[in-house]
Amino acid sequence: MATDDLATQLAPRAGANILAVEPFQGLTARVRFRPEGALDVFRAVHDDLGYDHLSMVGAIDWVDHREVFYIVWSDVTKQYLGLSADLTGDAPHIESATPVWPSANWHEREAWELVGVAFDHHPDMRHLLMPDDYAFHPLLRSFKLHEPEELEVKSRSV
Amino acid sequence: MWVNMGPQHPMTHGLWNLRVKIDGELIVDVDPEVGYLHRGIEKISEDRHYNEIITLMDRCCYVAGIAWEHVYIGAAENALHITAPERAQWLRVMCDELQRLASHIMWYAAFVQDLGLMSPFLYGMRDRDLILDLFQSFTGGRLTYEYNRVGGVRNDVPSGFTDRCRKVMDWLMDRFVEYDRLCLGSEIFRRRCDGLGVLKAKECVDLGVTGPMLRSAGVARDLRKDRPYAVYDRVEFDVAKADAADVTARYLVRMEEMRQSVRIVRQTLDWLDHHPGPVLADHLPRWLGAPYAPMGNEGYLLKRNFPRGTGFAAVEEPHGEAQAYVVNTGGEHPYRTKFRSPVFVNLSAAKHYMIGYRVADIPPIMGSVDICVGEVDR
Repeated sequence: MATDDLATQLAPRAGANILAVEPFQGLTARVRFRPEGALDVFRAVHDDLGYDHLSMVGAIDWVDHREVFYIVWSDVTKQYLGLSADLTGDAPHIESATPVWPSANWHEREAWELVGVAFDHHPDMRHLLMPDDYAFHPLLRSFKLHEPEELEVKSRSV
Repeated sequence: MWVNMGPQHPMTHGLWNLRVKIDGELIVDVDPEVGYLHRGIEKISEDRHYNEIITLMDRCCYVAGIAWEHVYIGAAENALHITAPERAQWLRVMCDELQRLASHIMWYAAFVQDLGLMSPFLYGMRDRDLILDLFQSFTGGRLTYEYNRVGGVRNDVPSGFTDRCRKVMDWLMDRFVEYDRLCLGSEIFRRRCDGLGVLKAKECVDLGVTGPMLRSAGVARDLRKDRPYAVYDRVEFDVAKADAADVTARYLVRMEEMRQSVRIVRQTLDWLDHHPGPVLADHLPRWLGAPYAPMGNEGYLLKRNFPRGTGFAAVEEPHGEAQAYVVNTGGEHPYRTKFRSPVFVNLSAAKHYMIGYRVADIPPIMGSVDICVGEVDR
């Protein structure tokens, strides 16, 4: 029921980019969308549905592809909504959500440095938690915890 | 000129660096630099059993360990389709609120000390110890508790606990009056805090700021009320709120929250007195650490197939909205965990509540944000 309503509300501005609206444990629903139309979907969710608060952005390495997910909150419905996009290819990338939700800034920096997903047109893409010259993406499945990589970390420039 | 305030600086409680660009005494730009305490909790979780991650959660935020356990446990139970018994839910609510008291008192002690007032620090630490004693009496730990379990909590509270807890609550209510007299009655305190670090409601929402910072800007948003989890829909309390959006407003919000927490704890104690029952769900598989699996049934329990799924949970932690996202692809370890730390987001907005103030204003402003580096870096 709720998922149908969401799909109808999203249709005018982002209908072509929505792949599915599915029920999700702990959330109102999860909207799966095409990464190419990310900004349209963000705008529709923010302006038309009223989800004005971005709670988090995360990425998952599924080995054959990567997934980016967003959790947004609306003060009107008092509900969380999930958004998710599958990124394929050797250099997975998606449009940054910062023009719509400024709070995406640090979340996207973290998702890039840990999972290696690039966010196009991000205003301030730098390392956040890892050292500036850290060359790995530690949350990739290929990064094994028990086989430490050889690395030499220079001190941070200040 | 860029000045590094940190990683070792009396203003930074924990290991992080606030880079400040100053023009004379005026702050013209800030760039918080975090990561000094990054332990890779999300990565380590990939190799751990569901119950072993609870240990990491305690270390995620070292002043609100049990609240973070609740965040993770909520998502893990969703992902594994397990429900905790009612009594365990009430115990979790009691723990959350006791933790909120301990965390806010710790904040009070550190914040007021940043302003140069030493005696409130000692009063705060004295009163927080009483709550840690309570925790110790039923979890065995004072800082890292490992009390929650997937499917409930580890053990019940000992006999006589509720009476002891009530005494502490009565004691604390009297102390809050003293706290206020020490701070709000002090001309020096007011002049150092009023009108500083203002972050209005619209900006708060855009920047994702939550918790006491958001409520101090006049937005009465509290997950315990808006989206009740555990048994928060069965306890009575008011959402603390202030309008000035400055450092003093955040102080007022946290003080009122402590009073409301005492109110909630008292209600949970009354309920716990009259409703004995199990605190851990039955029929948990052996790998979830079920201590009383009936003999001969282990094989069945091991083979029992848990449905796959992804769990999401959000909890109003002392610092704001904490969330966990746990991906379960079947098996004993989660495939991926992701944690949303409220302080991480509140700190990322630093540019918006620091620029335009003076260097001497940094300790009160940063103190009012209540930064816990453990959960910023995770």
